[in-house]
Amino acid sequence: MRRRSHALRLAITAAAALLAVAACGPPNPAGPAKAKGSSSPYGFDAAEQKDGKLVVWVDSTRLDAAKAYQAAHPGVQLDVVTYDGNANGSNTLKTKVQLFNRAGEGWPDVVFTTDNNTASWASQGDDAFVAPLDKGLLDDATLGGFAKGALDVCTVGGTVYCLRNDLAQVVLWYNKKLLDEFGYAVPKTWEEYQALGEKVAAEHPGHIVGTAGDAWAPEIYMWGSECPAGQITGAKAITVKATDATCARAAKLMDRLVANKTMSMLPLFGPDFAKNQGDKVLMLPGPAWYGGAVFQGTLKTPKGELAVADALHWAGQDPPVTGNVGGGAWWLSRHSTNLKAAKDFLTWVATADAYQVELSPGYPAHAAAAAKWIKKQQDSGYYAGDIAAPITAAAGQVWSGWGSPEFSQEAVWAKTVIPAQTAGKTVESLLPEWQTAIEQQAQVSGYQVTK
Amino acid sequence: MTASAISAAHARSRTRSWRPAAGHVFVSGYVVLLVVFGVAPTLYALNLAFTDADGRFAGLANFVRTVQDHRFLSAVGHVATYLVLWLVTLTVLVLVLALLVHRLTSRWYRATLRFVYYVPGALAGASSVLLWLFMLDPSVSPADDLVRALWGETFVGVVAPAHLPWIFTIIAFWTGAGGWIVVMYGALNSIPHSVIEAARVDGAGPVRTALRVQLPMLRKWIVYMLILSLAAGTQLFVEPQLISQASFGVVGTDYSLNQLAYLYAFDQNDFNGSAAIAIDLLIVALCSAGLFVAKGGLFDAD
Amino acid sequence: MRIEHLTRAAIQVLLLAVALFFVLPMVWLVLASTKSPAGLIRDNPLSPGSIDALLTNWRHLMSFQDGAVLTWMTNSVVYAGLAVTLTLLVSIPAGYAMALMSFKGRRLLLVVTLVVMLMPATALVLPIFLELSYVGLVNQAASVVLPMSFFPFGVYLTYIYFSTSVPGELLDAARLDGCSESATFARVALPLAKPVVALVAFFSFVQNWNNFFLPYVMLPDSDHYPMQVGLTQMLAATPTFNPVVGANAEVQPPELVLATLLSIAPVLLVFLFSQRFLVAGMTAGATKG
Repeated sequence: MRRRSHALRLAITAAAALLAVAACGPPNPAGPAKAKGSSSPYGFDAAEQKDGKLVVWVDSTRLDAAKAYQAAHPGVQLDVVTYDGNANGSNTLKTKVQLFNRAGEGWPDVVFTTDNNTASWASQGDDAFVAPLDKGLLDDATLGGFAKGALDVCTVGGTVYCLRNDLAQVVLWYNKKLLDEFGYAVPKTWEEYQALGEKVAAEHPGHIVGTAGDAWAPEIYMWGSECPAGQITGAKAITVKATDATCARAAKLMDRLVANKTMSMLPLFGPDFAKNQGDKVLMLPGPAWYGGAVFQGTLKTPKGELAVADALHWAGQDPPVTGNVGGGAWWLSRHSTNLKAAKDFLTWVATADAYQVELSPGYPAHAAAAAKWIKKQQDSGYYAGDIAAPITAAAGQVWSGWGSPEFSQEAVWAKTVIPAQTAGKTVESLLPEWQTAIEQQAQVSGYQVTK
Repeated sequence: MTASAISAAHARSRTRSWRPAAGHVFVSGYVVLLVVFGVAPTLYALNLAFTDADGRFAGLANFVRTVQDHRFLSAVGHVATYLVLWLVTLTVLVLVLALLVHRLTSRWYRATLRFVYYVPGALAGASSVLLWLFMLDPSVSPADDLVRALWGETFVGVVAPAHLPWIFTIIAFWTGAGGWIVVMYGALNSIPHSVIEAARVDGAGPVRTALRVQLPMLRKWIVYMLILSLAAGTQLFVEPQLISQASFGVVGTDYSLNQLAYLYAFDQNDFNGSAAIAIDLLIVALCSAGLFVAKGGLFDAD
Repeated sequence: MRIEHLTRAAIQVLLLAVALFFVLPMVWLVLASTKSPAGLIRDNPLSPGSIDALLTNWRHLMSFQDGAVLTWMTNSVVYAGLAVTLTLLVSIPAGYAMALMSFKGRRLLLVVTLVVMLMPATALVLPIFLELSYVGLVNQAASVVLPMSFFPFGVYLTYIYFSTSVPGELLDAARLDGCSESATFARVALPLAKPVVALVAFFSFVQNWNNFFLPYVMLPDSDHYPMQVGLTQMLAATPTFNPVVGANAEVQPPELVLATLLSIAPVLLVFLFSQRFLVAGMTAGATKG
């Protein structure tokens, strides 16, 4: 009974509180508690600084980063919270931040995300959540240490809002043993790649040269083809030209190879793919993390067979460009009451060898760490031939014209194109629908759309 | 007990009724929770639905804006189709199964079937995300032949838009019907044997007994089941959300109205639009529920 | 006579087919937890795996985020247990009063309860979050326990039970014998209400146990997650469902299956032990007619 009366008292307090909040007047969009009048050496109004626990949100893979930091800094009080990392467009972070914005408290100090959409929604407006990093918080030496283009997804209107954790540049993965056995040369351009696909279909049916069954297919084929499906031209402005000739050529390539069955429509990580086509993979254009996650992890390709070639490009492209699939980032809250500690954590996890070289599963975005990381991979002896040169080269070739808007391009593709493709339509014929779907999604997210 | 005694008891309570009656004490705890976690949030949502982001009165602007959203009408269509399938299959199958199980003579068999039917009720949310991903994936499903024959060779083919209302009906039935079968079974048990016996003496077969005697006595329970299922159905959220997650987004996250309300609130930061959609849903649910209540006499204290 | 036999056979087939529909996925779930990741894909879906694989899966599961699964299970038990207790204390008297006592506002209460039940949860979650945030309860057990103990479904269940299965004459007789209202409730009504108490307790336990949305919103700290929210966390750490986690993925599908199994075990146990109460007991109150 005692518990009950306690609960009742709480409930009554809550009821009284609510009447004050809800019954009359405007909803109270409780903004962040800003320290008014303070000079802002970091480009934003920092909260009043206090010592205390540093709250850090990571996904379960990046839990290692927080643990490594704790091990290296035993004196720091760390409160590590694991969440889903915003994976698969789950929008967990956005949901929580909006709740915290309403409540006016509760934000974490540092957050890791696996998506590229955070900068667009979290950096703008009255309820902005992430802090600008290049306005005094971090020095140029730290920011300059990242690979060229690595911070593009962190940048809105010329201001950097995050440190990239890993890069996911698209390269060409191939099975050297099989390729030698079949007597084929490694393709350099998408044209050669398509021709090779035709040859494989005729001479070695059943083998595959690529997949298009996943939501990130456009980021491999369309992005690399410089298809302007979503160019961000302002904080809330986007240009969508998904029926452009550059998109059409990539669409035709996919259609051709899907038709002759050398491009699989099965999801790469679904059970079907490993079971039916796992040992038939001749090559896959795909991001840098395919080596570990797909070949070593899912397909169990034996040691000494897998090799990497330079990213494919279109014959006329100068300079050659490539696509990008994912790559996480670290963010700092502008509501942090512990900026110094937060900054130290952020910098360490994104650049220190103890995490980025020793433990990180992906290709580090920080150039110095990346060089050591790739050497470590090379030395493992798993790969056939040099993987460092093509992966490092591709890191700087990611085309900057594919924007990271507030919404997920992957989700639009998955919903619009994949089901229709499964039903037998060609990507080329679906381009207008894709265009419309992107436009509608952009409008829903409040973008000014230019066609 | 005589009729005069009953009316005396009633009269006594009526004379007391403008002071706090004993009944008020009994419901007080519930009323507090109802106000704090039911009424007040509902009022707050109503307030949101009729104001704009700055809290100014906005009339029907939020409603107009959300209805004009290109996703709104398709979501309405999805939910309506699903509701029709779900309510019809649920009512028919739950009643038929409860009646059949109730007629079984073996006590052990009855208990086993009840248990088996109820077991999936333990799975919900994240648990069924995983399970149904596998059940609907022809490559690992234990019923792969059936899935292939009905819906297609690959998982993406299986979750094609035309199949979804059926798939959601099946999932909802799988997790939810067992509980109702147990409830209906219990209600059937509370019908006195003498009534059934009387029907049999009058020459009624099992079917007639069910239709004329048992079902009418379950009226309140059936109405209750329909209202709750309707509410749950209009609020369709978990199933499309889980299929969306399992299919990597091939099924969008804007399939149902409730998902759309969620997107408005937490994706677009438009809590006013979200509240407007929620109020739309509430109105539809209330109208239908009102119809059921009027027909079913749920509120009569007898 | 032959038609009757046929009907009887058809009924049996129907009952068993439905039983198969309900039970097959569960059987698969149990079997899948005993398989290795490769075996899950390769072997017949309904073949058993091995004890070794099961133990390996268990070990991996327990090492996930340093044993987070056990923390989540404990949290779930605490939240659901507290909420059920509160629900019973509040709902049973309320349902009783609405069914068998006359007082001002009875009908209003019934209508309001129904309206609130029909309100979409997504719309209620934000105001509730703001209330609890205002009184500083967010990220504490109370922020999920209190809203969960508001269980209108249970009140209605009690209401319907008392109004259909307990004769008002019995209570009036008790009152005329000089029993106070609370004594009538405690000595006469409550003993008759055992089945519905079990029913409400059970349904509220299941609902609380499976509640995802509320704890997901109220508890930002992963140490406070209940199992259902933890499961989605594991889902996001499985490469089959979230390719971005990469090669060092900590969770493989069979481990996820095992976690799912673990997450439903308490509900199954509760059902197993209470089902006699739940169903057979309902005849006890049937004196009306």
